[in-house]
Amino acid sequence: MTSLIKLELARALRNRKFLFFSVIYPSVIFLLVANQGDSRTKVEGTGLTLATYMMVSMASFGALTAVLMGNSERIAKEREGGWVRQLRLTPLPGRGYVLAKTASAAVVSLPSIVVVFLVAAAVEDVRLDAWQWLALTGAIWAGSLVFAALGVALGYLASGDAVRPITMITYFGLSILGGLWMPTTTFPTWLQDIAKWLPTHAYAALGRSIEQSQAPHAQDVAVLAAFFVLFAGGAAWLYRKDTLKA
Amino acid sequence: MTTTAAPATTAPVVGFDQVSKTYGSTRAVDGLSLRLYPGQTVALLGPNGAGKSTTLDLLLGLKNADSGTVSVFGTSPREAIVAGRVGAMLQSGGLMDEVTVAELVRLACSLHPKPYRAADVLARAGIAQIADRKVNKLSGGQAQRVRFALATAGDSDLIVLDEPTTGMDVSARQAFWATMREQADQGRTVLFATHYLEEADAIADRVLVLHRGRLLADGTAAEIKAKAGARRVSFDLEGDIDEAALRDLPFLTAMDVSGRTVRIQSADADATVHALYGLGVYPRNLEVAGLGLEQAFVAITEAEEAKQS
Repeated sequence: MTSLIKLELARALRNRKFLFFSVIYPSVIFLLVANQGDSRTKVEGTGLTLATYMMVSMASFGALTAVLMGNSERIAKEREGGWVRQLRLTPLPGRGYVLAKTASAAVVSLPSIVVVFLVAAAVEDVRLDAWQWLALTGAIWAGSLVFAALGVALGYLASGDAVRPITMITYFGLSILGGLWMPTTTFPTWLQDIAKWLPTHAYAALGRSIEQSQAPHAQDVAVLAAFFVLFAGGAAWLYRKDTLKA
Repeated sequence: MTTTAAPATTAPVVGFDQVSKTYGSTRAVDGLSLRLYPGQTVALLGPNGAGKSTTLDLLLGLKNADSGTVSVFGTSPREAIVAGRVGAMLQSGGLMDEVTVAELVRLACSLHPKPYRAADVLARAGIAQIADRKVNKLSGGQAQRVRFALATAGDSDLIVLDEPTTGMDVSARQAFWATMREQADQGRTVLFATHYLEEADAIADRVLVLHRGRLLADGTAAEIKAKAGARRVSFDLEGDIDEAALRDLPFLTAMDVSGRTVRIQSADADATVHALYGLGVYPRNLEVAGLGLEQAFVAITEAEEAKQS
């Protein structure tokens, strides 16, 4: 199975467009947004500067891009094209395909997190304790598993033609409404009430609590855990259905 | 039904026992029983929709039978694949794109429990010269060869091929079957589905004729031809034609009268023609010709349909 992970990874690293959108693009948006306020402006109700606040948002956004965009489309297309069937004629266990996809996405999502941190520290002078940098990297990286599961579920749910629009709507909907592009505090109250139940909101809130040196909110952890169970369960169910159909 | 004899002591490579598979109201495979023995090269012959692909899917464990049992080397299909005993190439089998041919073949080798060297696999499949090409930039025939390489990445005992020469030109097809014969000569069992009847005739030492999910005939290509009425006799008659008398000719398997011309299929043309003169008629423009496997196949399926209606 490691051979399949390696090949998936080689393929992902060769795909310049995918690398640009998952690794470079989040840092570019970070610079554009973080420059809007001066370094003393605090984001309402958080005690964090805009740069510090947006750093977590964009690192989360980058990780989300890496694990969601690549997998859902690839899985849907490879299901339709018959590669998934071809793999079933090899001794590779059925879940090996999904695990290889998730593992290679996780390898790409790590640099997309770290690059945002490096840009934030170098250009916007974001300063945190060493443990915070490590904890942030770990939390955002581990949290991206929730969205990797969502990517797999979408890949098994959608057909090859429909997968891109469905993924795009999900991706932008979750990013914008979850407050990854701008603080949800700028939203009208009714929208804030919806946003706080989104997995992306909980995901970024997890990172922000580390920046604030606080314990994560129980609600955020619960929301993330619930969505992980939902997405992973859905992915497993759809995967089994697809296997019986093939 | 003629069954190619196999020593009773040899364990079958593949065993189907009363296997059925239904999609909605269509019986794709209908009570199919068959056994394949080591070293045989077997053609699974049938028109589109005969149930060939479903039969192979069942054999490879991609689908589960509604009833009956499928065994491969005495175990389940999946166990046989995990043990590396089966290599398969499906029409519907896709390839991973955006990787090179060599990378894909190396992957197949690394997944196989008894792998060959990737360089050898590439050479044997005749794709060494396109090893660095991206998989999504291949022609249909080249993609087929890559699929073949994936199916022969290791030392498997059974090779299953679904319409393997689709998309290949004549020379590529010949080269492909030459490669395939090497595999068979090494003692492997080869099962291939085809609707190219000349392929079944030229390559297989056993032909299974599948129609509407059932096994219509099982034998050598020569036996299949004999079963359908091996020869075609045609002649013209003057005056009234006594069809009933003609129909009683010995070894006659089918007859068609149009105008003056009578066309007969006979399992023993010599005896039929001899008896024809015995009727006291004077056949003109008498022709006796062999039936190709294709016509034999059409005759068998027509006979079957006539029986059902």
